[in-house]
Amino acid sequence: MSGGVDSSVAAALLVERGHDVVGVTMKTFCYSETPAHGRTCCGLDGINDARRVADRLGIAHFVFDVEEDFTRDVIDDFVAEYARGRTPNPCVRCNSNTKFRDLMRRGEDLGCDAIASGHYVRVRAEPEGTALLRGVDAGKDQAYFLWGLPKNLLPRLVFPLGGLTKSEVRRRARELGLVTADKPESQEICFVPTGDYRDLLDRRLPTRHPALEPGPIVTLDGAVLGEHSGYAGFTVGQRKGLGGGLPAAMYVVAIRPDVREVVVGPREALAVAAVRVAEPNWLARPPRPGDRVTVQCRHRARSAPAVVEAGVDGDLVLAFDDPMTAVAPGQSAVVFQEARVLGGGRIVATIGANVSASNR
Amino acid sequence: MDFIYLDHAATTPLRPEVREAMAPYLDEAFGNPSSAHRWGRQAAAALEGARASVAATLGARPPEVHFTRGGTESDNLAIFGRARLPRPGGGRPSIVHSAVEHHAVLEAARWEEALGVRRRVLAVDPTGRLDLDALDQALEDLPAVVSVMWVNNEVGMVLPVPEVAERCQARGVPLHTDAVQAVGKVPVRVDDVPVALLTVTGHKIYGPKSTGVLFVREGTELAPLLHGGGQERGVRPGTQDVAGAVGLAEALALAVAERESEAARLGGLRDGLEAALRARLPSLVVHGGGAPRAPHVVNVGIPGIDGAALVAALDLDGVAVSGGSACASGATTASHVLEALFGPAVGTRAALRFSLGRGTLPEHVERAVEATVRAVERMSPA
Repeated sequence: MSGGVDSSVAAALLVERGHDVVGVTMKTFCYSETPAHGRTCCGLDGINDARRVADRLGIAHFVFDVEEDFTRDVIDDFVAEYARGRTPNPCVRCNSNTKFRDLMRRGEDLGCDAIASGHYVRVRAEPEGTALLRGVDAGKDQAYFLWGLPKNLLPRLVFPLGGLTKSEVRRRARELGLVTADKPESQEICFVPTGDYRDLLDRRLPTRHPALEPGPIVTLDGAVLGEHSGYAGFTVGQRKGLGGGLPAAMYVVAIRPDVREVVVGPREALAVAAVRVAEPNWLARPPRPGDRVTVQCRHRARSAPAVVEAGVDGDLVLAFDDPMTAVAPGQSAVVFQEARVLGGGRIVATIGANVSASNR
Repeated sequence: MDFIYLDHAATTPLRPEVREAMAPYLDEAFGNPSSAHRWGRQAAAALEGARASVAATLGARPPEVHFTRGGTESDNLAIFGRARLPRPGGGRPSIVHSAVEHHAVLEAARWEEALGVRRRVLAVDPTGRLDLDALDQALEDLPAVVSVMWVNNEVGMVLPVPEVAERCQARGVPLHTDAVQAVGKVPVRVDDVPVALLTVTGHKIYGPKSTGVLFVREGTELAPLLHGGGQERGVRPGTQDVAGAVGLAEALALAVAERESEAARLGGLRDGLEAALRARLPSLVVHGGGAPRAPHVVNVGIPGIDGAALVAALDLDGVAVSGGSACASGATTASHVLEALFGPAVGTRAALRFSLGRGTLPEHVERAVEATVRAVERMSPA
């Protein structure tokens, strides 16, 4: 229970169905340190909101301090990825580690049989194992974030909102008189409540780390167009922040951390033919080379048809039928078969459709 | 399911005698003690009666007893009130406190340190010995105040306040003691022990919440935190909570009158609880077991078991206890007391504190043991 409307309604639905429910809020870091805490789901206000909803539903509620594990699994990874010139996905890391695996352990400590959350996804028992499916509300579906769940947890996960739309959920929240019914969505990363992650990187990276130092903005041909103030401020596909006076529309095509270069190019240079994915996690029987799947490389992006190329154990290579635009290393590539999540992994390299630039 | 409360060190229920004593002052006897008319006189009489009662119970004189709104307020008043006085002979004031003080002393001291006051911390070992050599050294500097609690709230350890008080008095340095967990459990008399400042709170002794006392020995200067109408000799202005003061006085009088028999009874139950837990959970560690302890507290740790999860599991099984220290979010955080006593190696998050009280019966202890063993077995790696 984050204190947001989704987890609140999920809890309410479970109580309605007659389950014996315990509400848990995880304290992921010390909120008193950040100035703008409390606006959305993970600040102190969030914890208090969760507590009020639990009280309203008549269920026990506990707050568990998972700061140490969360720092190691999520925050340290976030910082390390930016240092490598990649764009991290901390919500994926949290779901893969803290939110389900660690929470399940605590649930077991309390004698619980299952873990539920307000994610917009569905699970379905199938002969070969439990399947994880997209939520029915395409605009809210969160399957993209859950590829890293340990497969053996799936039979013990419950997602009451997977079959509902967001507006249905808000309506239920109002009907139930939940204080969180009209709460705004949380948009920021929970440990960067101000939205400015540079301050976090500044505090956690060694002084004068290259990721935060000025460096050249270069074209694909190597011409220097200007200077940037730290490659950690850029992500592939980005157009802003490159400074004015650039010829035509230029986009960040790649980041070369060892030389602190931000490489820019025209829109066509963003076209990606294939992605290389490290250490995929499979929630179903892994696809074989030659299998056709659909792949999603960004939250809120369409998933596109692709072919699994060689290398399913260890690095996986997925080749798109049509080039995908602006794929950022560090993001997740999630492999689907229709609505079912087969698995996914972290994109470590992109193979350009029009250019040979790639980032490892 | 019957729910069992074993968290009396956190707070206690209001006793019927206290509620009865308070009732008129919540009702028809509502006057402001500072008013000149009959309502005022009635309220003032009750307030002064309460003050005289507290004084008699503690061995103090009535002008030395000041009513505050709780233990934290009294502790803060003692620290800030002394640290903010100009140092005789000039220079930066200094304050001294033990390593195991309650946050109400610790945080006040830290705040003063951030403002430039020198702060010195006295180590305490697991047997309850305070570093007296360090104290003597610190006293050379004539600190504005030394603060050593009488009974530690987390592990129940009794600190050598009489010894510390003698040494402070010999140097003319005021000793403050947080006696919140001590009154009603161990003998506490300011005519026996030369403390200069002493904190009591109502809600740990079956009195009302938001009530407290700060004893200030005659001749001890103190700067106030609040400024206003001059009530409580200017030490704590504001219209007094007469009902609260009456309630606190009644609670304190009863607690001290019953101390000897209740301490024996609680000690017996506590020792039984401890022995049963040790027998059923061989790896169990008792924090502070080697020190003189107040009779109502036992703080344990089981290696490899998450204290916060254990507290939650016990709650779901109907037994209320506490673990470590709670922060504003409600999560259990590491205990500075355990860290100070045992060093960072000890799992400071693994603590479980049982604190018994007036309503605790032998069958409650049995149930607590069963529930703890059940939870630990479920949580132990297979």
